[in-house]
Amino acid sequence: MIKKIDKNNILFVAAATGFFAIGGILTTFAPPLLDASWAKPAPGLQNYPELAKGGDAHADLVMKGRAIYVRDGCWYCHTQQTRTIEADTVRSGWRDVRSPVSTPDEFVFDKPHLFGTRRVGPDLSRAGGKYDKQWHATHFKDPRSLVPGSAMPPFPWIANNPAELDAMVAYIQSLGRAKDWRPTHDYEE
Amino acid sequence: MSSLAAPLPATATTAASPASHEDRSSFAFLAIASLFFVISGIVALLVAGKLQMPTLLGNIAWLTYGRMRPLHVNGMLFGWLLAADMGLAFYLVPRLCGVKLWSEKLGMATMYLWVVIILGAVVEIPLGHNQGLEYAELPTWLDVLVVVAWLMFAANIFMTVANRKYEQMYVSLWYIMGAIIWTAFVYLVGNFATLFTTGVNQANLNWFYVHNAVGLIFTPLGLALGYYFIPKAAEAPLYSHRLSMIGFWSLAFVYVWTGAHHMLHGPISQWLQTVSILFSVMLMIPVWTLVYNFFATMKGQWHQLKDNVPIKFMMTGTIFYLLTCFQGPMHSLRSVNAIVSKTDWIVGHAHMAVLGAFSFFAVGGAYYAIPRMLKTRLHSQALANASFWLWLVGGLSFFVSLWIGGFLQGLQWNDPSIPFIDTVKFMKPFWSVRLIGGTFMFGGILLFFWNLLATWLHRSERPAETV
Repeated sequence: MIKKIDKNNILFVAAATGFFAIGGILTTFAPPLLDASWAKPAPGLQNYPELAKGGDAHADLVMKGRAIYVRDGCWYCHTQQTRTIEADTVRSGWRDVRSPVSTPDEFVFDKPHLFGTRRVGPDLSRAGGKYDKQWHATHFKDPRSLVPGSAMPPFPWIANNPAELDAMVAYIQSLGRAKDWRPTHDYEE
Repeated sequence: MSSLAAPLPATATTAASPASHEDRSSFAFLAIASLFFVISGIVALLVAGKLQMPTLLGNIAWLTYGRMRPLHVNGMLFGWLLAADMGLAFYLVPRLCGVKLWSEKLGMATMYLWVVIILGAVVEIPLGHNQGLEYAELPTWLDVLVVVAWLMFAANIFMTVANRKYEQMYVSLWYIMGAIIWTAFVYLVGNFATLFTTGVNQANLNWFYVHNAVGLIFTPLGLALGYYFIPKAAEAPLYSHRLSMIGFWSLAFVYVWTGAHHMLHGPISQWLQTVSILFSVMLMIPVWTLVYNFFATMKGQWHQLKDNVPIKFMMTGTIFYLLTCFQGPMHSLRSVNAIVSKTDWIVGHAHMAVLGAFSFFAVGGAYYAIPRMLKTRLHSQALANASFWLWLVGGLSFFVSLWIGGFLQGLQWNDPSIPFIDTVKFMKPFWSVRLIGGTFMFGGILLFFWNLLATWLHRSERPAETV
């Protein structure tokens, strides 16, 4: 059989496709069918894309901020996933309160997904509500003025543009809100 | 032995080859690839420099880190490596088939289309037209052109194979044909199926694509080069045809299952994580059979490492491949992953795969093939040798500094009493070593480019000694 494949290019193509297709299909199209939790939104999850389409001004702002986050590649240095690792839940937490781990139902409306692969800067999956707008404005203009030693570049075109700054802040404040874990002493209270 | 290794006997079919090869498209692809190698190298140094000095060209939106990084990655993957692989495929496929390339015209058209795609990316990415998915950043109109170019490439290769004179297909041909078929599916999933999905479902397709872009595009194309150029350059027959079969078919089956290992500990089903771990560990089967085969081919030929530059690149590439593919399965173990994931260790690993293993195969192949396709001699063996050492020393300091720094940073992250910013400051000396190593590698790229250019410029003054 294998000897034949060696000499017949049509047989070869069929075999190479078949060998690959088993895993190719079982790991791409099958998992969402097998695990319904990927598509079921968490009870507290806001459907910002739909809300924005429906004319909700705040949702529109969040979506605009998200687009800037994608455009300027924030996601190359910031992940958005509190993993099932104890230290992650502490680092994503706030003042001694640990954050819950991220679950698929919190990301159902994310497009593109922004889980990320690299943490040059800290994870942002629970960043919402931790710092106020003034902090973010200063931080975008000059990250090192607030966090000495930071490797984050300045973003003057965001900080100096009120529309972009509002959108970015609205987006960051929306992160990690699908689960109700927040302590009462968050800056907004 | 020789019956197993047919139809690539060491004694080479070039002299007796009935077809005289034009190699126009092959050369053109290698020429644009080496030019994009230089340009992506400059962007690479800028990106590495920005980690050292975040304000470096930091106030200009289109030059910000988050726009230059994807330009660097896409430039290296598609502008340099894939273009070089396609050029070398146009060189070796006709030779292994004993016929001319099916259509040089189609090959040249593919090359021009490729240039349009890369230039399109060079404009779109700095403008911030990023789709937000790693390796799939390019806007959809460019994705469509990539598919068209790939179909043109596929038609040329498959028609050449279909017209071949030798009945038996040498293993390099399998790898190239396999890469063409698998890439088609992998690319469509990563760039088009993702348009219709969201959340974890989209992330799963994205990592399927990212992982298999390396595993089922660059790996088989790189290995095809190794299988062709190692026996050729060393003038020794391939050790075992049977081992190469085991390696190929196990790679075809195993590699595709592993995408979800990019999300270990993350918000994705546990069972899918476990499946990806099992198959990641099984990857050692195709890798070790191949590495054994390459090493055994070199048996009795190791003295050639001293002054055979293509062999130096090929065998060092093989060692990098072995190391990369030992790291990969190890990272996928949950205990190891909890330390190295999301750190610079992974950046070191990824660079060893693409810039170490697969670029070494492509560079070694180019040093071997370009003088032959121009019927001349390489401009300078000494410069080629210098480029090897720059790459090796630069590469090792780059990779090793990121492994050490990344591993230690991972340990620090797992101790939440250490503030995050302290772990960033901790990385800075390691980033400095990386930048220095990267500068060495860039020197290697410049020497490579200059050597090929000079070989081309002086091709008629220096006819090849033997045909």
